[in-house]
Amino acid sequence: MTPVLEVEGLVVEMRRHRVAFRAVDDVSFALEPGSALAIVGESGCGKSLTLRAIMGLLPNRGRLISGRVIVDGVTLPSDARGRGRGHRQHRRMSIVFQDPLSALNPVATIGSQIAEAPRHVLGLGRGASRARAVELLRLVGIPDPERRYHAYPHELSGGTRQRVMIAIALSSDPSILLCDEPTTALDVTIQTQILALLADLRAERGLALVFVTHDLGVVSQVAERVAVMYTGRLVETGPTAAVLPAPRHPYTSGLLAAALDVDSPEREPVPIPGSLPDPLRLTSGCSFQSRCRFATPECMTTDVRLERVGPDHEAACLHSDVLAAAQAAGRRG
Amino acid sequence: MAEALIEVDDLSVTFRSEHGRTLRAVDDVTLRIAEGAVLGLVGESGCGKTTIAKCIAGRVAPSSGVVRFDGRELGLKRATEDRRAIQMVFQDPYSSLNPRMTVRHVLSELLRVHRLVPRADIETRCRELMSLVGLPRGALDGLPSQFSGGQRQRIAIARALTVEPRVIIADEPVSALDVSVQATILRLFEDLRSRLGLTVVFISHNLAVVRHLSDRVAVMYLGRIVEQGDRESVFSDPRHPYTRALLASAPRLHQIELVRPTVEGEPPSPIDIPTGCSFHPRCPRSEEMCTRDRPSLEPVGTRAEHFAACHFREEKSPEAPEEP
Repeated sequence: MTPVLEVEGLVVEMRRHRVAFRAVDDVSFALEPGSALAIVGESGCGKSLTLRAIMGLLPNRGRLISGRVIVDGVTLPSDARGRGRGHRQHRRMSIVFQDPLSALNPVATIGSQIAEAPRHVLGLGRGASRARAVELLRLVGIPDPERRYHAYPHELSGGTRQRVMIAIALSSDPSILLCDEPTTALDVTIQTQILALLADLRAERGLALVFVTHDLGVVSQVAERVAVMYTGRLVETGPTAAVLPAPRHPYTSGLLAAALDVDSPEREPVPIPGSLPDPLRLTSGCSFQSRCRFATPECMTTDVRLERVGPDHEAACLHSDVLAAAQAAGRRG
Repeated sequence: MAEALIEVDDLSVTFRSEHGRTLRAVDDVTLRIAEGAVLGLVGESGCGKTTIAKCIAGRVAPSSGVVRFDGRELGLKRATEDRRAIQMVFQDPYSSLNPRMTVRHVLSELLRVHRLVPRADIETRCRELMSLVGLPRGALDGLPSQFSGGQRQRIAIARALTVEPRVIIADEPVSALDVSVQATILRLFEDLRSRLGLTVVFISHNLAVVRHLSDRVAVMYLGRIVEQGDRESVFSDPRHPYTRALLASAPRLHQIELVRPTVEGEPPSPIDIPTGCSFHPRCPRSEEMCTRDRPSLEPVGTRAEHFAACHFREEKSPEAPEEP
């Protein structure tokens, strides 16, 4: 199948104290219609910036240095801020943020905010765009949509606001939905509902999903593919069902060992030693080497890139086979 | 129950909302916390877990009910030693630390004001506190902005420990931290508990964290404790449908298929608490009696240490949610 979204060699520079550093460094991936990719990593790894660069919403301190975003085979035009100048293909993508309250207009009814894109982007008439907004409210599972059309954001709960954000994102009839930690601020029972909604939208509308999260427990529920990000780079990508049980990058394996699992309370979480390197002082070689128990002198000099380690599975580590052997030994012992 | 260090009896807290209506944040809660134990308080946002913590710490006045510490009743006005005995640690250490005070300044001021050590020993004690929370001695000269989130949380814990408390109430202390850092802070809590014999009230929405750290667990919904017991009874055989729903929704590392929600809708507003069992509008097990009779927290079977507030608490956990 031809991919609906291709990201090639995305590089974003951010400025901090007048010094520029690479916050997103050579990120590439492709997404087929109806498929989902989870990008997982800790704060500051560049996962949200990647989404913003794709969407053309880089903050003022950010600059798109290079890279291409291709939607349905058409390369989107972009300037240094990653802005796509309202290209027709650009409208095939929508984004949902973590905090719906700051993304919604507090003085407009939710209905009018959903009807905006149908009216002004799709060019529907007033009545038709209104009807479409009501239909979208129903689609995202908001009861009594005709009445709720007139509600203001502050009258709604966090979960309902996030449903409204999804309705707005769907209102321009996109084929790609970019999600930036959409359930992080929600309670778990509500998170489950939103994840189920996204899964239904994928199945029913063939929507492709890029889902950014810090929560490994969510990854397996939303996406069949996962990309692990560390200091601006993808360090491991592959099928979720292959990566989580047998990670081939020490950072992925460290994240999994540090996470608690509600089903195995006796397992002690093992923290990753050290802390995130200062992005302004990144040295040559692998950026994880100072925290890595498999590191050798080569890791300080070699510029490691993603390499194939299994079917459809890549890792950026010189010693991924050593890690695999250690895991096998651990399972046997 | 055995002698408890903290006893909370029939505690209720109501707030007045802007339109003169009453918001019942905590509704008739009774709790026992044994000395040296870790109690995990779980529930979703707005369920009242933080309000209970603040009542115990003397920061919020109960509308009715009592909080007893070591057998003595504690009100809002407390003797210095009672205030020192119960300390809180918050979710966001950045907003709870003075940005212009070095760590040494924060700690030494507390030591001086409370006359905890002779003046000459203040520096030594500061260094001891740093090593207790696993920070280098040099951290004493730093300002909060110079530390990472995990280090700041260690500083906040050191500050709480400065006044030699017997109880630490930690309100979502690891929720804002990255996973790799979370593990180090959880280890610190375990370590402090065994070394100092601290009693810990650990508030979290994260079931995995609570299951890992707690001896006893209390699950809250809309201001009430709906299930309470020793950790393994509650987690391996939950008897309240809400606890089951929470467990089913908890993110799991190795669960590939999607979890379908077992409860519909969202928690009602605490201004407008449903009649009968407050969980009945969302409950997959609810029957007509649940809309009328409010179940109280009763023992499950013959278990001495497991309580649930559900009319159907004697039914064992089903593998799948029941069809309506």
